[in-house]
Amino acid sequence: MIFKMAVNNVKKSFKDYTIYFLTLTFSVCIFYSFNSIHAQSAVLEVGNSSISYMQTLTNLISIASVFISVILTGLIVYANNFIIKRRTKELGIYMTLGMGKRKMSKIFIYETLIIGGLSLGVGLVLGIIASQVLSVMTANLFALNMTRFKFVLSIDAIIKTIVYFGIAFVIVMGLNQVIISKYKLIDMLNASKKNEDTKVKNPVISVSLFLVSVVLIGLSYNLVLDVGLSTREPLFLLSVVLGILGTGLCFYSLAGFLILMIQKTKKVYLKNLNIFTLRQVNNKINTNFMSISIICLMLFVTIVSLFTMFSYKANLDESIKGNTSFDASAVLYTSQTNEEGDSIEEALDQLDFSFNDSEEYLFFNEYALDLQVADIVSPYIDASNVHELENRADDRNIKVFTLTDYNAAMQLKDEQTVTLRDNELLVATNYGDKIESINRFMENEDAISINNQPYTIKNDDLIMDNIENQPHNTDFFYLVVPDDLSEELTLSGTRVNVDFGDDNREESEAKFAALFDCFNTIGGEFTQEVGFIQGFTREQATAILYGNSAVIIFLGLYVGIVVLISSAAVLGVQQLSEANTSLNRYTTLKKIGVTEKMINRTIFIQTLIAFMFPFVLAVIHSIIGIIVTSDAFATRNKNVIGSSSLMISIVIALIYGGYFYVTYVGYKNIVKNS
Amino acid sequence: MESILNVSKIEKYYGNKGNITKAIDNISFKVNKGEFVGIMGPSGSGKTTLLNCISTIDQVTTGHIIINDKDITDLKSKPLEEFRRDELGFIFQDFNLLDTLTGFENIALALTIQMRKPNEIDELIKSVAATLDISDVLTKYPYQMSGGQKQRVASARAIVTNPSLVLADEPTGALDSKSSRLLLESFEQLNHEQKATILMVTHDAFTACYAQRIIVIKDGKIFNELIRGNSSRKEFFNKIIEVVALLGGDMTNDI
Ligand SMILES: Nc1ncnc2c1ncn2[C@@H]1O[C@H](COP(=O)(O)OP(=O)(O)OP(=O)(O)O)[C@@H](O)[C@H]1O
Ligand SMILES: [Mg+2]
Repeated sequence: MIFKMAVNNVKKSFKDYTIYFLTLTFSVCIFYSFNSIHAQSAVLEVGNSSISYMQTLTNLISIASVFISVILTGLIVYANNFIIKRRTKELGIYMTLGMGKRKMSKIFIYETLIIGGLSLGVGLVLGIIASQVLSVMTANLFALNMTRFKFVLSIDAIIKTIVYFGIAFVIVMGLNQVIISKYKLIDMLNASKKNEDTKVKNPVISVSLFLVSVVLIGLSYNLVLDVGLSTREPLFLLSVVLGILGTGLCFYSLAGFLILMIQKTKKVYLKNLNIFTLRQVNNKINTNFMSISIICLMLFVTIVSLFTMFSYKANLDESIKGNTSFDASAVLYTSQTNEEGDSIEEALDQLDFSFNDSEEYLFFNEYALDLQVADIVSPYIDASNVHELENRADDRNIKVFTLTDYNAAMQLKDEQTVTLRDNELLVATNYGDKIESINRFMENEDAISINNQPYTIKNDDLIMDNIENQPHNTDFFYLVVPDDLSEELTLSGTRVNVDFGDDNREESEAKFAALFDCFNTIGGEFTQEVGFIQGFTREQATAILYGNSAVIIFLGLYVGIVVLISSAAVLGVQQLSEANTSLNRYTTLKKIGVTEKMINRTIFIQTLIAFMFPFVLAVIHSIIGIIVTSDAFATRNKNVIGSSSLMISIVIALIYGGYFYVTYVGYKNIVKNS
Repeated sequence: MESILNVSKIEKYYGNKGNITKAIDNISFKVNKGEFVGIMGPSGSGKTTLLNCISTIDQVTTGHIIINDKDITDLKSKPLEEFRRDELGFIFQDFNLLDTLTGFENIALALTIQMRKPNEIDELIKSVAATLDISDVLTKYPYQMSGGQKQRVASARAIVTNPSLVLADEPTGALDSKSSRLLLESFEQLNHEQKATILMVTHDAFTACYAQRIIVIKDGKIFNELIRGNSSRKEFFNKIIEVVALLGGDMTNDI
């Protein structure tokens, strides 16, 4: 009987529950899909090298999930409180009808269970769908092949989701009991009558405060644009503090400012329900300015970090190009041999390392010029690009390879060979799209002199392929010179590049990966014997290059989406509470002949403003933030920002827009059914 | 005389089969342009119901209500909303002012929703505020006003649009006798000077005696009709008291 009543209640007030339901469902969906990452690796061709990154990611997500479940529980409690408040009158009526508190508690427990179970179910279904999308993304981020699409279902993640949200529901139920037991009948019956105190502020003070806030924000922008992203710089901290203060002050005074401004433009002020809308917004912002400011700042941090991560990733994709061309490659620098004059070939011999029949390999030499990149391009550096070369590997001597070796390497990866005349050379580098002076150099110079002998640059466009696998220093610059010249050059290292062939790829991969790992781990066992061989298989290089960024992006997305949902949900619940407390006003409006259309319009505008105000300021903050971070991370490819902003905009529009719509409809319903 | 309101044979039932309340049982009457009419009756006699039906907030079960040659019982919801906005003015027992708006804004709202021009709005409000003696409270919020001031602001909101018919349900219900008198005097003034047609529901004899004509209803039917004619207010008041006594004394007055 009580259960039936609870079912009826949920049915009856389902519209009130929408936002609660939506928040729960979203939360469950996100929680499940990110926690099922581990299961997703099962359908991807994850090599050994990527597995460790996957493991790190899984662990980090588990840790983050603890924090996130705390946030989500808070959110659920918040949304639940709104529902209870909305229904205090109903509760009061139950009580006057003689229903005991115990019975009422039971009804609420059942209601929570019904809604919780429902949203858990729907959320899990959505989460399972979303995790399929996520696994495509995982493949993409880790640069893995998805040979066949397979349905991913993680029982572990399902259990975890149920446990975490089960706990959240228990907490909500417990709090409901506390709230119910504390309520007094008289409060319940009068609940809907209470009107929040309307705070009226002196308009002159509002305007001055608003101007101050604009100045503070402006100062903060100025400072941060000057000092950049240097978190230890006191000026940077000052800019953050000013920004936070400015934001808070801005929302504190915004409404008063707007009222004064709009009152001056009578055409807007005295039109339709604008007076009412303005006062509603004023009232709302004044009572909620703190939370609005916090939401604005959270949105700002989310947008900037999502952006930065995506552009970082896109940046990475750019710089990776040409750095994973061989199945395996390794180098033994002359400075790192155990015995002088040892070549990599001899070192491998000493280690009893042998090549299979299916493997093709090429031993070759690397020479160094007594010249650095900076020396070559320095005439083309001007005020606009003085910093270009900073932080680049420009302090090392330029690498040189002979034509024969270069062609052999080209053949190894089945590419066209080239010819050079005696006085010609080739320039290979990926600096071109980040260092403008290189391009100017290429345009203006025909030759580079080596040992006082000019060599004509044969290629018009820069060669963009590296001659080794290089996941760490992805910037490369080398020259290809005629064979004869090698006698005049200093040997800097010996190299081997390998093609695994078609047959035993997996075996070869495992063999080389094991070899390189022995050196890559600190104090690796072979180092003492033969010196330090640095090598990477293609898979290792890819895993290193993509692994870290993938981990960061996943975590960022996870946290970012949760923050977005939380912000939107809080805004939505606030707005619906506002609808509740303003009911009397709408009744009055209806009585004096305001049409339903006009009422819907003012609700739309109010909701839009509630969602847009914090968002717009967050976007403005973010523009500055993105300028600063892309400076810091040296975003070289400007298209990157375009493509990532599209992705982020879609995510934000879906979540934020969804909440906006649900809130608008919910608000309309509350007013309509009053 | 031109009639503004024509109520003909209306009935209003509440409830469903087996449990029907006849809140209005075959009532007909007319109100002419420029009249100040009171409606009296004991509690539960159907006064509010009648007013709600006339004000289009509620719908009659049978019968017709014609305001300004328009049969409002035939109107669809949208023209009904427009009709209410343009032709009627309301004054409620509990003022129904918007707490977030100043006096000026509360009055202005009635005009802005009619899409009046800003200049016009300013002037109309100034003149109505002068008539009702509320020029000083225009910048105040409802919580800063006295009950009487609130009701006068609400009245200003009701008449500023120059409606065909002003409907007031117990306008003095929440006021003390001094404020009541001030409000009623301003009603009288509106009626005389602006030729406003007023239909006022009350169960208080003192309030009622400001009207020119009083329709007394009991159990949903017209019980009596009193016309002031040329008699003084005092005489009219005494006449009302007699009828009230006839009704069974369950009506109060606070003189
Ligand atoms: N919504 C409703 N549903 C059912 N019955 C109603 C409803 N509204 C009013 N009634 C009934 O109709 C009759 C007339 O009610 P009405 O509110 O018009 O009285 P009234 O004359 O305004 O009384 P009072 O002086 O106490 O305000 C009453 O018997 C009342 O119980
Ligand atoms: Mg009544």
